[in-house]
Amino acid sequence: MRRALLVAGLALALLVPAATAGAHPLGNFSVNHLVTVRVSSDRIDLGYTLDQAEIPTFQERDLPRATVLARKQAEVARALHVSVDGRPIALVQGKGRLSAPPGQGGLPLTRMELPLTATVHDPHRVQVDDETFPDRVGWKAVVAAPGKGTAVHSSAPSGDPTGGLRHYPKDMLSSPLAERTATFAVAPGTGTLTAPKAVGGETTTDRSGDGFAGVFADAAAGKGALLLLILAAFAWGAVHALSPGHGKTMVAAYLVGTRGTARHAVGLGATVTVAHTLGVFALGLVALLLAQFILPEQLYPWLSLVSALLVLGIGVTVLRSRLRARGRAHTHDHDHDHDHHHHHHHHDEAPSKKTILALGASAGILPCPSALVVLLAALASHQIPLGIGLIVVFSLGLAATLTGLGLLVVYAKRLTGRLRIPAGVTALVPALSALAIVAIGVVMTVKALPQVA
Amino acid sequence: MVATRRHRAGLLVLAAAAMAFVATFAVLSLVNSGSGPAPERQLDGAAPARTTDGQIRQLQTQVREAPTQPDLWAELGETYLQKVRETGDASYYTRADGVLRRALALKPEGFEGLVGTGTLALARHNFLGGLRYGLAAHRVAPGLARPLGVIVDAQVELGRYGAAARTLQRMVDLQPNLASYARVSYLRELHGDLPGALYAMRLAVSSGGGAPENVAYVQTLLGNLLFEAGDLRVARAAYEQALARFPRYVPASAGLASVDAAGRRWEPAIRRLRGAVARLPLPQYVVQLGETEQAAGRPAAARRDLALVGAEEKLLQASGVNTDVDLALFEANHGSPARAVTLAQRAWAQAPSVRSADSLGWALTRAGQAQAGLRWARRALRLGSVDPTFLYHAGMAARAAGHTALSDAWLRRALAHNPRFSPLYAPRAQAALR
Repeated sequence: MRRALLVAGLALALLVPAATAGAHPLGNFSVNHLVTVRVSSDRIDLGYTLDQAEIPTFQERDLPRATVLARKQAEVARALHVSVDGRPIALVQGKGRLSAPPGQGGLPLTRMELPLTATVHDPHRVQVDDETFPDRVGWKAVVAAPGKGTAVHSSAPSGDPTGGLRHYPKDMLSSPLAERTATFAVAPGTGTLTAPKAVGGETTTDRSGDGFAGVFADAAAGKGALLLLILAAFAWGAVHALSPGHGKTMVAAYLVGTRGTARHAVGLGATVTVAHTLGVFALGLVALLLAQFILPEQLYPWLSLVSALLVLGIGVTVLRSRLRARGRAHTHDHDHDHDHHHHHHHHDEAPSKKTILALGASAGILPCPSALVVLLAALASHQIPLGIGLIVVFSLGLAATLTGLGLLVVYAKRLTGRLRIPAGVTALVPALSALAIVAIGVVMTVKALPQVA
Repeated sequence: MVATRRHRAGLLVLAAAAMAFVATFAVLSLVNSGSGPAPERQLDGAAPARTTDGQIRQLQTQVREAPTQPDLWAELGETYLQKVRETGDASYYTRADGVLRRALALKPEGFEGLVGTGTLALARHNFLGGLRYGLAAHRVAPGLARPLGVIVDAQVELGRYGAAARTLQRMVDLQPNLASYARVSYLRELHGDLPGALYAMRLAVSSGGGAPENVAYVQTLLGNLLFEAGDLRVARAAYEQALARFPRYVPASAGLASVDAAGRRWEPAIRRLRGAVARLPLPQYVVQLGETEQAAGRPAAARRDLALVGAEEKLLQASGVNTDVDLALFEANHGSPARAVTLAQRAWAQAPSVRSADSLGWALTRAGQAQAGLRWARRALRLGSVDPTFLYHAGMAARAAGHTALSDAWLRRALAHNPRFSPLYAPRAQAALR
């Protein structure tokens, strides 16, 4: 046995083949693994991917493939742990797939893909610990993916720069990942995910169907003309207003019942813009300053409740004042002829400034998660003016849709006003619209309450 | 009247919005500027930066922030090299190469860049390149010891022992520390001065400093010297100290395995080596495992494990790496002696050291050219080395060439200090003497 006695500087020099980094950037004896985590409200899905380099594969060359697969699955069963709200949960392994892609020097590699699932019930805090193959060098990563019916705040990134352990970054300024642990704060939601970006400290989202965060990413990276990106942000805001829960029905219902003018519709739009922008900034500040105490996701149910109660309050106030007005109108009827108030709409009161403000606030108070993500990303990448500008444009787009809707209602009312509609029906409209607002408020409150509890 | 009031209300909303905007912007800027230095504070903290990983993270951040600072790039490159020493993860060689190139591109005469590039060249067995960069760094800063270390290592591997001794003397005079004492020890060992080598290595250990791995490494080297000198009990203590300083340190585990094997405690020896090979399947440890299994009477397991070295050799060839003395010896002992001769000749052409001479001599002897083998064995022993493996190779070559008296003398010397220097070859030497 010849023991190479070499000076410290040469330590492993004569032992580690230098250029083996060529084909497998992490060395011919690396064992690389990746865990993809998808937290839904009723289940957790994990995908375990293993990429084993030439030498460890060679060390197992005598074993039948079934035995190799069984060994890998046993290692995952032994050392991959998931706990929900502090309690370890059982993982059910799916069917593992083993393949042998060609490696360097005519030697094969080992690749395994293994799905795992666990049944859960409304998890709040999920922790994944990947303790498989300890002490082996290689790329070890945990990656988050959006689930169903949840809003997840992940400590693990949402991106995987390796394409499922098929190619590895050659960036000289980053070390191979050694992430074996990830935590996920989970709240009920619509399949949203907030996670750090794979490289660098930026945050990103994987919200399905909303490209606003992508617009910011492009703008920050200097991709695309700024004017086009601003238009895109505006468009996303406009589209976003059409998704449920932005008070469209309520705005329409309210304006239908009032003697609202185009001016009121525009004022409402302006209030929504300001309220939404402020809401995003306020929540952003909470996320930044109070991150240790409360997660923005945890605030959402409360904001929903506030918004719902605001709507309910508006509905009740409007209903009461209209019922009173209707009462007065009835006594009035005995003295005046009917023709007169067909033209002047004495039943409808003009919208009060207070109600318009409350209405705008209730529609804008719930910040869109994508706008929040853009704000946090802007902070992380030192692009605050750009981020804020885009959020304002986004809010303007949001307001444009609502204003447009309001204008539509106002002009439609004028049109119907010219038509000779029986007085009884027209007289009922304000009360019905107020009732509709109350009903919307009740539905929103009922939906928001269980989320808070 | 009503219209103007409405205008005023609109203006008020606009003003409020503008104020809110400005205020939020100001607060966010403050928050952001406050959060900027926070990660640095964390990195400056005691715990993370002291580890190699902590240093790497800190330097990566610094380099991103100041990408025109050549010394930061170079320092990062040297820290990557330290990472390879600790883990054997060859991917850091590629990274080190990249960042050191950047350092030299930014400042071709940069001291740190030249020293780092020289160290990397040595690690890649490019000894002439190491010598060139070491000398260039020495010209930039003649009063500093580190370039001299690079030069000494290159000179030793190139077989220029006289020059190496002179350079090393300057290095020790400039800076008597772990790095220089460890090199003194190695040079003394090559010249057969085992007590002197032990003394210097003890000085290196007590100097301490650097990364924990550096101290663990010289403790392991001290263990190896003690093992060679036959002091198994103290050798074990040295390895255990290395493991206490750097837990799961593979070279020290392998050292403990050789102490176990010398006491014919095959089970713990094989268990330790299996653990080492599972973590770091470097040829050196694989060969040690296979030979220990062979000595323990498990030829099937030995064959199976030694085949791994063949696979590693294939990978080396596939990536165009010039082969090693270690692989030549492996082929001579466990593979094809003819191939061993080719490999050893290439090794000698690359680095005409006593190590290369020994491997070429042994390859020739195993290939049936005992006369030529003996000539090269004499070359390997020209400094007066008492390395038991060198002496065993020389003794077997002399025996095959018909010089029994010379062979007996060499084999006795091989067994003089540690009669169990190798689980496989010590018994063979004893059998030859009988």
